[in-house]
Amino acid sequence: MYKSLLELDLKEEAEIISFEGGTILNRRLEGMGIRQGKKILRISSQYIRGPVIVSVDGHQTAMGRGMASKLIVKPAEKNGI
Amino acid sequence: MGNPNVGKSAIFSRLTGSHVVVSNYSGTTVEYTSGKLKLENVTAEIVDVPGTFALEPTNRAEAVASEMLESGDTIISVLNATQLERSLYLALQLLQTGKPVIMALNMWDEAQEKEITIDIGKLEQLTGVPVVPTCALSGEGILMLKNRIPEARNGEFKQEDSASLMQRSSAISSSVQKMHGNKTSVREKLDHATVHPVFGPLLALFVLFLSFAVVAFLGDFLHEILKGVFELVWMPVAVWVSGLMGGEGLLHKIFIGELIAGSINFEESFGLLTTGLYIPLAVVLPYIFCFYLTLSLLEDIGYLPRLGVVVDAFMQRLGIHGLSVVPMMLGIGCNVPGVMAGRMLETRKERFIVATLIAIVVPCMAQQAMVIGLLGQAGVAGLAIVYGTLFLLWILLGMLMNLFLKGESTEMLIDLPPYRFPYWESLIKKIYMRMNGFIRHALPYVLLGVFAVNLLYTLGFIGYISSVFAPVITGLFGLPGEAGGALIIGFLRKDVAVGMLAPLGLELNQLIVASVVLMVYFPCIATFVVLFKEIGLWDLFKLSVIMILVVISTGSGLHLILQSTGF
Repeated sequence: MYKSLLELDLKEEAEIISFEGGTILNRRLEGMGIRQGKKILRISSQYIRGPVIVSVDGHQTAMGRGMASKLIVKPAEKNGI
Repeated sequence: MGNPNVGKSAIFSRLTGSHVVVSNYSGTTVEYTSGKLKLENVTAEIVDVPGTFALEPTNRAEAVASEMLESGDTIISVLNATQLERSLYLALQLLQTGKPVIMALNMWDEAQEKEITIDIGKLEQLTGVPVVPTCALSGEGILMLKNRIPEARNGEFKQEDSASLMQRSSAISSSVQKMHGNKTSVREKLDHATVHPVFGPLLALFVLFLSFAVVAFLGDFLHEILKGVFELVWMPVAVWVSGLMGGEGLLHKIFIGELIAGSINFEESFGLLTTGLYIPLAVVLPYIFCFYLTLSLLEDIGYLPRLGVVVDAFMQRLGIHGLSVVPMMLGIGCNVPGVMAGRMLETRKERFIVATLIAIVVPCMAQQAMVIGLLGQAGVAGLAIVYGTLFLLWILLGMLMNLFLKGESTEMLIDLPPYRFPYWESLIKKIYMRMNGFIRHALPYVLLGVFAVNLLYTLGFIGYISSVFAPVITGLFGLPGEAGGALIIGFLRKDVAVGMLAPLGLELNQLIVASVVLMVYFPCIATFVVLFKEIGLWDLFKLSVIMILVVISTGSGLHLILQSTGF
C-alpha cells in the first residue's frame, strides 16, 4: 500500500516509489540520493508544519512538508501482517 | 567540483595555499575563488566552485558552478567517501563532459571510522580515471592528489540518460565498497536530540542565548583590556603628537581631534590617531573576534542547518525557509557576506526578503559593538529596548513582505551534515581570515570616515545638511540637529556614525532612538554595492523605499513611546 512520506510514521522504514513534484526538484532530490528504489526512514519532524527529516543511505536530509507530501513511498511489510 | 559539503574548499585551500572559508554545511561557497598551483613545470589555475547535486543548476550558486565547468580544462571531482553512490552520480556526469577528470575521494578518515572500505583500484578501473583518497582537513592524501593531477584523463563513457547513470553509480558503488559497521553512535543520538520537536527549539534558544552572552560579556572583557592598553601605550604617543601640533589648528583637528576638557579622549576627540584607531581596534575588534569565534564553532560543528530546521516553521511566516538563518547569522558579523549568502535561496522573492531584512534590521557587529559600548554604560534596559525593537521589526517586516510581495517561496531541502569535532587548525585559520578581512577592509574605511567627519565639519557641510534635515531629526526623532552628521557618515561606516553620537551628550531615550535609527537606515556603502549586484537596481530601489518608510515610522514611533512613558 502506497502512501506519502508525510503519512509515514516516525521510525518507519519504506521504499521510495516516485516523486510527484516538479522536474527540477526531482532532479535535485535524485542528485541528493533520494531516488526510486531507495530505502527511506523517517527520523523526525517538527511541530507547527516544520520540515521532515529522513535518512537515506546513511545521510540525513531535511525537507519541507510540501515536498514530503509528494514523495510516494511503500512502507516495508511488517511481520505478521 | 562535487556535491555540497564534500570538502571542495578544504581541498582547494590545501592545494593552493590560499585562504577560503570552510564550514560543515552545504552552501558555504556561493562564488568561485581561484588560486594558483605549481605543478612540475607549469602553473595551473585552480578554481573552487560552489557545490551542486547535478549539472543543471537549481539556484544561483549552482549556476556559478555550471558556468565554471564550461571554462575549465581539467576537473578535480571531489567525492565524499561516506556517500559514494550519490557522489558518483555527479562524478559520472562530469566524466560525460569529455574533459579530463581526476577523482579525490575525500573524508576518507570518516569512512574508515564508519568502517566503510572502498577498493580504490577497482574504482579506478571501473571509472577509467585516477582516484586518490584524501582527508582535506588534516591534509592527508593532498600531496598524492597534486602529483597525480597530470594523470587526469577522459573516462570512456558514452552519453547516457540520468536513469542509467543512476543505475551505474549504484552498481559501481556496491561493487567497490563494503560497509561493516552499523552501530548507532553517541554522535547520532545527540544528532537526533538537536532536531527533536521539543528539545530542538529549547536547545536552539539556549545556543543563541549562549552565543549572545559570549559575544557581549567576553567582548566587553576584551574591550576593557584593549582600552587599558590604549590608555597606557598609545596615550603618551597621542599626547606627544598633540603637543607637536600645538594643540589646535586644522591638522590637529584631523589627526588628534578636539581636546575634551583639555585632554585627549579616545571616545570623543575624533581624530585619525585617536578615535580613528580606537573605534576599530579597541571597541569593534574584540566583539568581532568573539562573534566569529562563536559563529565559526557553530559552523564547523554542523549546527547551523539544524538551527534552520528548528526555526523553519517560524521563518515560513516571513516568506523564507529555515536556511535563511545562515545569511542572517553571517549578516550579524558583516552585512556583505550575509547578503551574498542569500544566493543559496531559489526565488527572487526569497532573495529580496532576506536582503531587505539583513539590510534593514540586521545590524553588523561593528555597529553593535559601538551601540553596546554606548548604551551599555546606562544599564541593560536601553539595549533591551533597541534589540526588542529590531526583533519586532524583523517579524513585522518579514510578514508584510510575505503578504504583499508577488512571487513564490520554496521549502527547505538540505542535507544535515554529521556533527564533527572542529579541526582546530582550520577553525583558527578561519577566524584569523575573518579578522584579517575586517582589519584590511574596515580599518581604511573607518579612518576615511573619521577624516571625512572632520573635513565636512570644517567645511560646514554637516551643519548645512543637519539644518536641512532638522525637521525630521529634531521634529520626528527628538534628536539634536548635530545627529544629522552621524546619518551622513553612516553611509561610509556605521561604527564611526555611532561613535559620533558619543560627544553629543544625549539622554538615554535619545541614544536609544538614535541607535535604532542608525541601525535601521541605509547600510554602509560596501553593503549597498553588494546589494546592487545581488538583487539588481529595481529591487534595490524598492528596498530603499521600504527602508525610508521603516526608519521614519520606527524612529518617530519610538520617540513618541519613550517620551510618553517618561523613559
